[in-house]
Amino acid sequence: MNKTLTALLCLSLAGMAAPAWSHGITKPQHGGVVQMNGETMFELVSQPTGVSLYMIDEDDLVNAAAMTAKLSVTAHGKRSDVAMVALKGNQFFAKGLKLPKGANVGVQVTDKASGSRYGATFVIK
Amino acid sequence: MPRTTRFARLAALSLVGACGLTAVSAEAHGIWFAQRAKQIALVYGIGADDLEMVKRLPQVEKIEAYDAGYHPIKATARVAGPVVLIDSEAQPTLVAAVMPYGIWSRVGNEEFEKKTLKEMPNATVSTRNVKYAVAIEGPLSGPIPALPGQVVQIVPAGPIPAELGTPLKYLVLYNGKPVAGAKVINDMINDPDAAEVTTGADGTVTLPVRNQGLNVIRAVYVGPSDQPELYRQVEHTATLAFTLAHKPE
Repeated sequence: MNKTLTALLCLSLAGMAAPAWSHGITKPQHGGVVQMNGETMFELVSQPTGVSLYMIDEDDLVNAAAMTAKLSVTAHGKRSDVAMVALKGNQFFAKGLKLPKGANVGVQVTDKASGSRYGATFVIK
Repeated sequence: MPRTTRFARLAALSLVGACGLTAVSAEAHGIWFAQRAKQIALVYGIGADDLEMVKRLPQVEKIEAYDAGYHPIKATARVAGPVVLIDSEAQPTLVAAVMPYGIWSRVGNEEFEKKTLKEMPNATVSTRNVKYAVAIEGPLSGPIPALPGQVVQIVPAGPIPAELGTPLKYLVLYNGKPVAGAKVINDMINDPDAAEVTTGADGTVTLPVRNQGLNVIRAVYVGPSDQPELYRQVEHTATLAFTLAHKPE
């Protein structure tokens, strides 16, 4: 009986030591830089033709078509807001946009259905 | 008049005078910003009391957001069930709010009532209360300036550290200038009854950052009345909220 209890206790403690819950995917999937807002991952990717934003919510790709996205780029004390276009899957794109080094880039998305508005901020290195 | 009665009256008058001159805190509740479902919410309460913000929304005088250069961004309040969310037109670096909270008076140790000195001429304490809140929502590009409408404002006098326990100096501003005598606590949510620390002549206090999560610092400053016929003092309650990120999972 004591051995059974001890074994159960050990199993229980082993379970506690390794948390099963996490925020899902938190690493860049497209070679960009990542910021989290809770369990939502924003990945910003600078490309020769513009800037892409990818969103993952825990492990689920966020449907870009269901959202609007805006980048607010502040450099040298001046902000410019750029509306992004939803592409396939979880990708948004701002054609022709360049992110200068040191710029503060606010990402804001709005859920078209619920009106939920949230985001994250990057500092470009 | 018998001597003992005269003495008693003098003592009572002295006590009333002292009460009138002493800065008396009428109301410890405040407003602050916190995250609700990844969005920015305006909260009214103290400690774990997250009280009715929606019914108080009409009292909110100002809601503002600022970008990384501390330029204003249009911001509005949106009621979502029992929560008041803040929608800004771009991702903000700062959000701020002002909520006047009326005139409160009392006699001696009686309960405060929502009355002016005209309505309660024998009040020993009569105060106008105003709540202010500022939250840091993104990386700071430089020192936070005095924001319009924030008559009392707490600003960090240095970078926000990455880890709890690190000392951080806070500057309390009154009308944009450092003020001595503001009473500060380090964690309005998790330690609301903590002993207050008073700002020195330079308007600063230094406190260890308490939480690897949401930190809500509160400062209360009692300033002079601008309408002495209605109230004897103005109690300004300001909060500064910021978050330290937890370890990546």
